[in-house]
Amino acid sequence: MTIEVDIEKEFYGRKNRKKKGKTPSFSMNCSFDADSDFMVLFGRSGSGKTTALRCIAGLETPDAGAIKINGTLYFDSRKKVNLPPQKRKIGYMFQENALFPHMNVRQNIEFGLKGLSSMEKTERVNEMMSLVGIEELEFAYPYELSGGQKQKVALARALAPDPGILLLDEPFSALDTVVRVKLRKELRTIQKRLGIPVIFITHDPIEAFTIADRMVVFDGGRVQQIGSPEDVFYHPKTRYVAELVGFSNLFDDAVVEGHGQGNDCTFLWSLGTEIIAPFIERMAGDRVSWGIRPENIELVDRRNMQSIRQEDRKNLFDGTIMNVVNKGTSRIISLILKDSEDFLKVEVANHVFNSLKIETGDECMVRLRAADMIVF
Amino acid sequence: METFQIIATPLLLTLKISFIATLFVAVLGILIAYILAKREFPGKWLADVMVTMPMVLPPTVTGYILVILLGKNGFIGSTFNKITGSGILFTWQAAAIAAFVVSLPLMVKTTTSAIGAVDKSVEEASRILGRNEMETALFITLPLAKKGIMAGCVLSFARAVGEFGATLMVAGNIPGKTNTMAISIYSAYQSGNNELANLLVIILVVMSFLTIAATTRLAER
Repeated sequence: MTIEVDIEKEFYGRKNRKKKGKTPSFSMNCSFDADSDFMVLFGRSGSGKTTALRCIAGLETPDAGAIKINGTLYFDSRKKVNLPPQKRKIGYMFQENALFPHMNVRQNIEFGLKGLSSMEKTERVNEMMSLVGIEELEFAYPYELSGGQKQKVALARALAPDPGILLLDEPFSALDTVVRVKLRKELRTIQKRLGIPVIFITHDPIEAFTIADRMVVFDGGRVQQIGSPEDVFYHPKTRYVAELVGFSNLFDDAVVEGHGQGNDCTFLWSLGTEIIAPFIERMAGDRVSWGIRPENIELVDRRNMQSIRQEDRKNLFDGTIMNVVNKGTSRIISLILKDSEDFLKVEVANHVFNSLKIETGDECMVRLRAADMIVF
Repeated sequence: METFQIIATPLLLTLKISFIATLFVAVLGILIAYILAKREFPGKWLADVMVTMPMVLPPTVTGYILVILLGKNGFIGSTFNKITGSGILFTWQAAAIAAFVVSLPLMVKTTTSAIGAVDKSVEEASRILGRNEMETALFITLPLAKKGIMAGCVLSFARAVGEFGATLMVAGNIPGKTNTMAISIYSAYQSGNNELANLLVIILVVMSFLTIAATTRLAER
């Protein structure tokens, strides 16, 4: 699948009327193109990802720009092309299923089938129902279905007319975790089986990471980063993306001191001391930001200092535990550093935490793993 | 036999006028309501106000304006005259027009809010599934606004049945031609025929009760 999107749209509050001299309440200016089968638009609520998807579907009209999917021009403001939604041959799943409440499951799925004989329609509906596994719900009405069943019907309905692309706007966000994970897997299986390209919206990092071939990260109506999930999660390019994917320890006031031999690392001055960080191509004296995930910070047991190898005795910090939150399988420890009084969040597995026998108010030592740090 | 005639004539006349008026109100009302609910256009507020006006105007004012419009020199009256060769005032058609004008706002108001309350994403789903706006309106929006539309029809019908002021002005009180139930009750009371007035009132009350009861039951289904 090839997707080329380059659109601008401005929103002017209530009624969305353009007024001269008035600044728009939200302005969107995004451009991305990709060549992948499972693309995820990722960002916080209000970042513009749904607007982008609605523009692709034709439910909203951009002020300017162009949208081209698989070689078909959907929209071009200069060429005055704007296909109505019914001509775009897309499947769309809404956040809230949007099933037709006055029709049963069969009628819902059949609604998008035009120009087929009633025999062909019946066959196609049967095929779709068995594809998503809802044969027994054929004559049920939407109000009789559970949330997960509703979204299965919505998926069958979207796929029935054999669309060229499937657009999904946070389709599983209202479901509980167990159902969500199950449906996500099923969606991926169905997508692979049908070979249909998908654009999927989510604000859930785990969801994005597990299903995406390619991620487009949105913020403030603009694209922040495009890349593979590994790229986005391990090498975020901006502070915003880093925060979004779980780098909750971020520091903006670091200064480059120099580089290691053979450019294998960079020395930063931050947290009142020298830190060894992954190499970044910046001059000495430059200001940079750096960050690390809570799970990439190790709690060091002082009693076993001898067991730590000499080369690992870097990026060690003393601190005091301010707060401990049990997340179920791990604990999030907030600590204040002794030298700089900066805060760090550390995540440790519960069995490790228990073996260290520490609690709020205790002093402890942490080590930042240089390889897991990001600098930008 | 005579009593039967005295009751049956206004009853049938009222039903005829109300049914025809409601039919036109339903068709035009749904169309206007759909446009008001779905479209943005300059002067929309004015259109809304114009449609609603007869609901708040005193019936005599509505009647007076209709007399002018429907009269021989009026826009509608003269056109009608050219086509049919006769006037429209003081006919049952004039009464039907009066009933139409006063009940249209009720239909438009109820239906507009019913259409506006239909979940937008359901309509969008229909568009994406290959249906144009017309098909979406017919298969999705209007069926989902059914209760509101039905309520609008019932209210309009009830309003048409009860129409008095404007009807009296444009159609008068011609026995056997324009004496609707409401007008017959008034003239029976005026002439001291309380017996007839009682009978007509009971019929009208029962009729109204049955209409409302039937629709309430229907809406519950």
